[in-house]
Amino acid sequence: MKKEIPLAITFISGFLLVLALFIPHKPFGNLEEIFNDWYIIVSGFTMLLGIDSLLGYNFGKIRRKEKDAPYALILILSFFLTLLWGVIEIIRTPEHNPFSPSSTFSRYFYNSIFVPLQSTMFAILSFFIASAAYRAFRAKEFNSALLLVSAVIVMLGRIPLGQGAAPYVITIIFLIFAWYFYSEAVGITETRIKLIYILVAILFVVLIYPIGWVYLRQHIPSFSDWLMNVPQMAGKRGIMIGIALGGIAMSIRIILGIERTYMK
Amino acid sequence: MREFFEKLSRIDRRIIYLTVFLATAIPILTKITMKIEPLPEVVKAYNYIESLPESTIVMVSIDYDAASMPELQPMLETFLHHAFRKNLKVIMLGHWPLGLPLGQQALEDLAKKYNKVYGVDYVFLGYRPGVAAVIINMGKEIRNVFSTDYKYTPIDSLPLMRRVKNYKDIKLLFGLEAGAVGDSWIQYGYARYGLPIILGTTAVMTPDYYPYLQANQVISVIGGLRGAADYETLVGIKGQASIGMLPQSVIHLVIIAFIIIGNIGFLVLRRTKK
Repeated sequence: MKKEIPLAITFISGFLLVLALFIPHKPFGNLEEIFNDWYIIVSGFTMLLGIDSLLGYNFGKIRRKEKDAPYALILILSFFLTLLWGVIEIIRTPEHNPFSPSSTFSRYFYNSIFVPLQSTMFAILSFFIASAAYRAFRAKEFNSALLLVSAVIVMLGRIPLGQGAAPYVITIIFLIFAWYFYSEAVGITETRIKLIYILVAILFVVLIYPIGWVYLRQHIPSFSDWLMNVPQMAGKRGIMIGIALGGIAMSIRIILGIERTYMK
Repeated sequence: MREFFEKLSRIDRRIIYLTVFLATAIPILTKITMKIEPLPEVVKAYNYIESLPESTIVMVSIDYDAASMPELQPMLETFLHHAFRKNLKVIMLGHWPLGLPLGQQALEDLAKKYNKVYGVDYVFLGYRPGVAAVIINMGKEIRNVFSTDYKYTPIDSLPLMRRVKNYKDIKLLFGLEAGAVGDSWIQYGYARYGLPIILGTTAVMTPDYYPYLQANQVISVIGGLRGAADYETLVGIKGQASIGMLPQSVIHLVIIAFIIIGNIGFLVLRRTKK
């Protein structure tokens, strides 16, 4: 019974919700509304579960005297300090709101501690992104060279300085490719292949002016938009359709009781 | 010579961090704004808001927190300037409880600046848990979800809210998105109830919303700091996003320079290995 009742509840609610979507009239239409109200209430209670789990986990760390127990202690103290301060401000402020203009919670805790800490965490990302871009965008093969060029074009297309800087950046990239193909050609013994490599190298040099200085100077933002609107979108749509199909499959498995991991 | 190219391909990350720091900090301190040519999607968003008649009710959803504040807060502030100048009525709510105070502070500050009255010109509803369920239920009857505002005032005692039953009375949802709540607004708000939507998104989230934009399921998407700066330019404000354009431009160029340097080192070393 311990397993059967939750499975029955899941099956009935899932089946009724699907039915309500196709028959938006009474009594099914109303059922969706009722289920949604229940969902909102249950969502509220999940916060309590989250708090219980967070505190339980960190109290456990302290009890077991783990290596990072001091951090767990700081987390627990911060949690209770925030809670206490917030409750005091709810009682103290005329609006009964910890975020009202007269609230010290809002001024000292939220604006001066929480917001800067959270912003800092995100700002640090820019350092990692720069470092990762330097290491990851290497023209190891054709696909990675394509990724590199696309990334550079999108980065240029999204900044006001992009149009001005584009010819210089494109010239440098084309020269690197021209040099690369020429230096590869030097080591090749077969004349036909060698000729193709040299021609590609010459093509890169010849195209610097028409592509870099004339075309891209004017069209870098629209080219960047094209990359976002066509190739990027094609990939994104495929991923989204895949996720949706996966979601449907998983929902059917849960409704039919095949997938039971949520009961563990 | 080989050593030089090896150094080029393995620059110490601390040098990269320092360069990034300087490339961001120095332009920020100069506070120079740049000439910006707004992107077409931002112009479309601006024109739509501009076309709304006086006293139209618009809804703002705060679906971000302090981490995305540099990109989304300027969008919110510009939208509020735009809406209050045009005498639009603003209802604010949100699905990220930790970010809602940012919206509330901006709303209260700008309402004060434009002499707007709470309950008549603007209302702050606050937060309710259960993103999709909240959005669906509001489409039927807003009172099912928000019977009171954030100060526990019954919403029927607020003149503005007496005019609102559901999304039929709201002519625009301006969602500020740092995550996936925008999907719910589109999938339930737009698809089920026809709610017109403009989304302001962080730069990393913007590509996720392009399919909706191309399918005309949203009016427009204002993407990242560039989008915020474009919107500021159109509304005629020199805000934080416009100031942020120079550091963003410089840092993009610095990253491109690092990518090029890394590739020179990598290609030369690969050549010499052969």
